[in-house]
Amino acid sequence: MSMEDYDFLFKIVLIGNAGVGKTCLVRRFTQGLFPPGQGATIGVDFMIKTVEIKGEKIKLQIWDTAGQERFRSITQSYYRSANALILTYDITCEESFRCLPEWLREIEQYANNEVITVLVGNKIDLAERREVSQQRAEEFAESQNMYYLETSAKESDNVEKLFLDLACRLISEARQNALVNNVDSSLPGEGKTISYLNCCNFN
Amino acid sequence: MYGVCGCCGALRPRYKRLVDNIFPEDSEDGLIKSNMEKLTFYALSAPEKLDRIGAYLSEKLSRDVARHRYGYVCIAMEALDQLLMACHCQSINLFVESFLKMVAKLLESEKPNLQILGTNSFVKFANIEEDTPSYHRSYDFFVSRFSEMCHSSHDDIEIRNKIRMAGIKGLQGVVRKTVNDELQANIWDPQHMDKIVPSLLYNLQHIEEAESRSPSPLQTTEKERENPAELAERCLRELLGRAAYGNIKNAIKPVLMHLDNHSLWEPKIFAVRCFKIIMFSIQPQHSHLVIQQLLGHLDANSRSAATVRAGIVEVLSEAAVIAATGSVGPTVLELFNTLLRHLRLSIDYELTGSYDSAINIGTKIIKEHEERMFQEGIIKTIGSFARTLPTYQRSEVMLFIMGKVPLPSLHHPMDPGKTGENRNRLIQIMLLKSLLQVSMGFQCNNMLTALPSSFLDPLLSPALMEDGEIRLIVLEILICLIDRHLNRRKFSSISTVPDIAVLKLKVDKCSRPDTLFMKKHSQQLYRHIYLSCNELSNVQAHYEAIYGLLVMISIELANEEVVVDLIRLVLAIQDMAISNEDNLSAYSRCALHALCAAYLNLICQLTTVPAFCQHIHEVIEMRQKDAPYLLPEDVFLEKPRWSKSVEQVEVNLLFLQSKVSEVLGGSGYNSDRLSTPYVPQLTDEDRLSKRKSIGETISLQVEVESRNSPEKEERAPAEEITFETLKKAIVDSVAVEEQERERRRQVVEKFQKAPFEEIAAHCGARATLLQSKLNQIFELTIRPPPSPSGTITAAFGQSQNHSIPVYEMKFPDLCVY
Repeated sequence: MSMEDYDFLFKIVLIGNAGVGKTCLVRRFTQGLFPPGQGATIGVDFMIKTVEIKGEKIKLQIWDTAGQERFRSITQSYYRSANALILTYDITCEESFRCLPEWLREIEQYANNEVITVLVGNKIDLAERREVSQQRAEEFAESQNMYYLETSAKESDNVEKLFLDLACRLISEARQNALVNNVDSSLPGEGKTISYLNCCNFN
Repeated sequence: MYGVCGCCGALRPRYKRLVDNIFPEDSEDGLIKSNMEKLTFYALSAPEKLDRIGAYLSEKLSRDVARHRYGYVCIAMEALDQLLMACHCQSINLFVESFLKMVAKLLESEKPNLQILGTNSFVKFANIEEDTPSYHRSYDFFVSRFSEMCHSSHDDIEIRNKIRMAGIKGLQGVVRKTVNDELQANIWDPQHMDKIVPSLLYNLQHIEEAESRSPSPLQTTEKERENPAELAERCLRELLGRAAYGNIKNAIKPVLMHLDNHSLWEPKIFAVRCFKIIMFSIQPQHSHLVIQQLLGHLDANSRSAATVRAGIVEVLSEAAVIAATGSVGPTVLELFNTLLRHLRLSIDYELTGSYDSAINIGTKIIKEHEERMFQEGIIKTIGSFARTLPTYQRSEVMLFIMGKVPLPSLHHPMDPGKTGENRNRLIQIMLLKSLLQVSMGFQCNNMLTALPSSFLDPLLSPALMEDGEIRLIVLEILICLIDRHLNRRKFSSISTVPDIAVLKLKVDKCSRPDTLFMKKHSQQLYRHIYLSCNELSNVQAHYEAIYGLLVMISIELANEEVVVDLIRLVLAIQDMAISNEDNLSAYSRCALHALCAAYLNLICQLTTVPAFCQHIHEVIEMRQKDAPYLLPEDVFLEKPRWSKSVEQVEVNLLFLQSKVSEVLGGSGYNSDRLSTPYVPQLTDEDRLSKRKSIGETISLQVEVESRNSPEKEERAPAEEITFETLKKAIVDSVAVEEQERERRRQVVEKFQKAPFEEIAAHCGARATLLQSKLNQIFELTIRPPPSPSGTITAAFGQSQNHSIPVYEMKFPDLCVY
């Protein structure tokens, strides 16, 4: 009898300028909705979703942060414990792209070193109003050693892929880490969590 | 279904059966109480099974959550709670694990009800005091999730408030649970504090909004209890009350960050409220840490908008007052130092119009106005803080501020140029205003120790007399310091009251230290008053201040000798108005006459010598009849009435020295001394400043300056040949013999009659004159070897400190006589 209903637990934090569609991405992924007229997030928002990859249950704790400057201090405090960061910008808004270096500085400062960062260009459904070319974003992501993906929360393009890819990557990281550290080797039959770094564990 | 359960039941372990039995068939029925009792009894009698019970219950619960059977979820939670309460003993430890897992499970849910349910259970758990240490718990998730709940943006206001309150309660629970347990994750770590504190503040700051939205008084009693802001405040107080010395910093920093990020310094109400909460709830011995952090934050914001800085200063003033009731210890001078530094910075910003002298001048007008507000704020803060200090610290602070006032002297050359002058003037004004704030209500028993020469000398420096505004502030400071019985207000306007009894003056007898103080400093004070009277730019406020100062000295510090000196001084002022050597305006002269009349009227009643009173009253009556423009009632009005006929005032309208000395001499006052006219004692600085003012007004100026050392310009005073001196030289040569004779007579008379101190002062002044002349000559003739590097001044200044060159040695005072 397993105490846990999952094999892995990861914390994912979404960051990026206000209004780039972070909340919509999370909603689309966790609830399958696209909430029109979504108001600005206050502080932080929390969602949970369990996915199954190759027979393993992966629980994703998703912390959706406010993009507004005034909540910066509380949102920063959530970076630290994140396993992955989804840095989002709006492809129809040059400004949100130009702010990316600033966000990277924040990540550098507040997140832990082994965090995986994914760059996401959202709103590809509004391709006709695109201001940031895909090539430019890809080059930027490459220079910063990030994965890059373009999504549309509205059309549900690449949203699943974004989170599932991230989960896969997190699993392989975690496995590697477990091997290197050789600590958390759980017994095969028991299926206990592999607590990875500062994975939240209540046991 | 029942049958199946029954048959399986026999095979299942006992604890599972007991657990199953507490669940009713219909979740609406609620927990089956009798079976719950059985389960509790079993758990108590077999505590080793407790962890399995917990695990099984939680397993059931998570299944129910997944199947949306919320009724059962509630029942399971209730059972868990009851077990927890019943069994708080050593065996609880393992059980708690599954319990917390369940709470987390509920908190993960999107359903507000489940979140609140989980929180409530958690709070119950948090209130249990465990006596066994637990190594393995992490509250990270709870802190994160509770903080998130504090920011709930649920559409329904009622539910939103419930979730937010649950979040606050949850945070409170985490704090309670961890704060005293050293094995637990340190709740004071920034990673937790940065979540907890802003979450509480976020709820706290919405109190105003909520109140303004529901003004109906009927609801408030209910609302009061159900108010997230109220709850947040209580939680914040509890949190801060538990903070130990090392944790204060981590707890306060997020507050500052939050106020920054939400730009809450400007309306300041919230910021002040926050810090009041903080100051009142932290342990008093830590309050100086908060002050320090605020000061640090002010420094960090030294380039922020003036409004932000003003907000911080305002908060600082409120906090400092609260802290001072405890002790702020070594931070006192640090506080003043920082405030004064920011005052200076602000003046620089105001003058340059930008924070960085390089960039934008765009919003200059607004900024100037805001900088002024900021400066006023600082001055106010200095005052309110000083008021909380004990006397000895206050005089320390006054000395400290005085030391910061830029004064022209040999050691501190003033910034040259027009802007430098303007800057110096502004700094002088601001610092003196601060000083005035500090001295307000300052009541020292011992003037001598409270006001040492190192404080009075610069304050009475003539450099602070040239500018009208500065002169007035200096006078006010003196009045504040001397007035220890709050008599000042009774003399805010100048008048000739026929009977001073109506003023109900509070007077103590002049104490011994006061007498000593006057012995030491009276000549300085008299000189200051005398010279202040002789300024062309005086307006009514100045005369009122001078009058106030004279009166305060007579009330607070006067013994017989001082009274005599004051009368001499006032008569000398009258002479000044008659002879008019410095071309005072008719108004000024009338004002001086009126001032004398008012003062003599007062002092004659204080001395209670009938003949003296009679003389004064006669003159005043005479003036009322023939020359009302010589009385304060006519001169010190909004539209003063004065007359050009002040040029020739008849003798019977004047107070006569001979008469006064005669009547007072009859009552045992020192009449010899009275009949000697008062001559102000001159000092080095006087000459310096006189020369400077002439240098300003008259452009013809020849500097005798050595060409090879331009960097010592200010050290070698310039010799000036002005139009005035040339004219004087011509006139002098004609009447030189007559004057010589006259002067000789005067000198003889003076040495016969004048008190010793005055003669000494006179000679002393001459000695310093001689000294400075000698210095000047030596300076020109003996030069230090020119150093190849460009830093001659620095090197020279240093060598001075170590060994005094021969030519700088002072002649002993005795050589003068």
